[in-house]
Amino acid sequence: MTHQVSSRDGVPMIQFVGVNKSYGAFQALVDINAQVKKGEVVVVCGPSGSGKSTLIRTVNRLEEIQSGSLIFEGQDVHAKMGSSALNHLRSRIGFVFQSFNLFPHLSVLENVILSPVKVNRVKRSEAREMALQLLDRVGLSNKAHDYPAQLSGGQQQRVAIARALAMKPPAMLFDEPTSALDPEMVGEVLAVMRGLASDGMTMMCVTHEMNFARDVADRVWFMDAGHVLETAAPDEFFRSPQHPRAQRFLSDLHAR
Amino acid sequence: MALLQNMISIIGENWLLLLVGQYPNGPLGGIAATMILSVLGIALAFPLSVLMALARISPWPALRWPVTAIVYLVRGVPLLLIILWVYFLLPLLIGQSIPGFVTMLVTLVIYEGAFLSEVVRAGITALPKGQMDAARALGHSHLGAMRYVILPQALFNMIPSIISQFVSTIKETTLGYIINVPELTFAAGQINNRLLTKPFEVYFILAGAYFVVCWTLTGVANLLERRIAARRAGILNGGAEAAGLAAASAGVSRV
Amino acid sequence: MKGFDLMAVLLNPEFSGMIVRGMEMTLIIFAGSWLLAMSLGVILLAIRMLPGRIADALVAGYVSYHRNVPTLVQLMLWYFGISSLLPDGLQLWLADRNGEALFAIIALGLCQAAYFSEDLRSGLRAVPKGQWEAARALGHSYVSAMTYILLPQAVRNAMPALVNHTVSLFKNSSLAMAIGVAELTHSVKEVENQSFRAFETYLIATVLYLVCSLLLMWVGYHLERRSRAAGAI
Repeated sequence: MTHQVSSRDGVPMIQFVGVNKSYGAFQALVDINAQVKKGEVVVVCGPSGSGKSTLIRTVNRLEEIQSGSLIFEGQDVHAKMGSSALNHLRSRIGFVFQSFNLFPHLSVLENVILSPVKVNRVKRSEAREMALQLLDRVGLSNKAHDYPAQLSGGQQQRVAIARALAMKPPAMLFDEPTSALDPEMVGEVLAVMRGLASDGMTMMCVTHEMNFARDVADRVWFMDAGHVLETAAPDEFFRSPQHPRAQRFLSDLHAR
Repeated sequence: MALLQNMISIIGENWLLLLVGQYPNGPLGGIAATMILSVLGIALAFPLSVLMALARISPWPALRWPVTAIVYLVRGVPLLLIILWVYFLLPLLIGQSIPGFVTMLVTLVIYEGAFLSEVVRAGITALPKGQMDAARALGHSHLGAMRYVILPQALFNMIPSIISQFVSTIKETTLGYIINVPELTFAAGQINNRLLTKPFEVYFILAGAYFVVCWTLTGVANLLERRIAARRAGILNGGAEAAGLAAASAGVSRV
Repeated sequence: MKGFDLMAVLLNPEFSGMIVRGMEMTLIIFAGSWLLAMSLGVILLAIRMLPGRIADALVAGYVSYHRNVPTLVQLMLWYFGISSLLPDGLQLWLADRNGEALFAIIALGLCQAAYFSEDLRSGLRAVPKGQWEAARALGHSYVSAMTYILLPQAVRNAMPALVNHTVSLFKNSSLAMAIGVAELTHSVKEVENQSFRAFETYLIATVLYLVCSLLLMWVGYHLERRSRAAGAI
């Protein structure tokens, strides 16, 4: 069940143009050309070591690239720029980590409030209101004054999503958001992500959760060995993958 | 610069005094005395520290508490005050006057014994608990397990820390100056009293001498620590795995 | 040898006066050098993080010097050595005004700053890399990330070491005796000289030092616990 197609679709929000990345002699990303349109939900899947995480981390420049350009909202993320320009760019892209990375010395509420106040210069009282709404949206308003160490993994990840949303980004990136969670907690996080998708958020997710991809994604990108080998709508991809390696990947999955 | 020339000439004229004090026209002093004091100090403190550490982790409170109290006492009071205590009490207990060298040695043994016992205790508790469990499961007594299984491993792992404490001991010998023990700082004081016009040069040379000795030893300790840590990682993970881990972290993508 | 008589020392106004003044001086030297050491320690850490190898090498050299040269020798180098390099007028001015205490504070403060900066550095290294990435991903600048996210955690990690070194600093104040500062150990030795009651005077000094050390350790322990917030890691 994908979200509503609207007249906003068709405008590219994240564009990879001939992107290459290596670590020394090892090439992690090979000539990536792809785009995520506004309002689109893209799921990136593939075997371990295919470069999925590296790909998503180049979008907000947590990883550098050696050649090509990466355009976000009309700006090249990897162009030479001052640190405050890069900071501003990053604040416009929400990023959810596999290991949550909540700030342990701050309460849940403070985790969500900190960056709007210090980076976006929002007034504290406004930020607080927004934070409480966001925590409510992810189902954790009763945990506002607890500390991360007191929360379960699933709860921490939901707080991390709220923290990223607090910056009001036009796009959200998810780097294996449920891979570090115990199975029974995966559902609560995916539910939040589904909610975001149906609200029209532009999303790019690296995940192994194929049901999520089938239900929520607009496009699936299959990666192997640093290449984006196939992009297709989920129905097509899961029913009849074109590339032989994609076929092998899906059959390995079903064999489990 | 004039300072440098002065320093070189001071060293040239006084190197023997700095090295061995007034020997043979007096007690052994200078760097020789400092090193002998330090080596003897740590060598004698070591067995004492092992006993104290064992007492502190033993299952018997009657042994644990007094030793813990002693360690807190020694760690809570300045070394200088302990020197004064020993200087005062030791001749009383022995019944005759004691040369400064012996006073300093006894003080160092007590002081370093307490500090070293903390190091030993940390080394023992850092071993995986499974070691003690396995030893007891095989039938060893608590002390037997300590002697054959725990201590050999712990002491080996602690070698860098022990060298660190040795460096501390060398620095502590300088306090002998206060009670006229003829070690290196005392020798420098003598030179300064003679020359009177070049205190900066004299004390700079003194600082330099200690720096060279301590820095070298610290370097050795760091080297050993890296070697031992690598060895430990190899033992825990199996050699091939450790090598694989190293390659993996070198530059493969974090996917 | 007279029998043990603690009161002979405590009740004698001259002796107890000297001891109290000695304790005051110890506390002054401790407070002065601690403030110097802590501020300088943070500055050294900040310098170390500047880009380029020179800044790092300079601070590393500073730390290496202060850790390998005995504290007593450092004190003597400052008081006997460096003071002789100062202009004569300044030397006389300092000699009139308790210059020894000032040199003691400077020497001890500079020395301990090396240790504090290393403690903070270790504390910073112990903060997981993910924290840094999360801060950057949210758009925090380097300074903002440091101030609100990384340094608070670094200080928390460094607490045990900082407390230990604070107690060391307190005990090191006794070294000032070697350059003539009338702190507690010096006063105690003076009282012993005059009263011939070594046991009693040394006992008083021991108790005073012990109480202060334990107090510092207790305060440190509670600061550590509070900084861990709810749900310790």
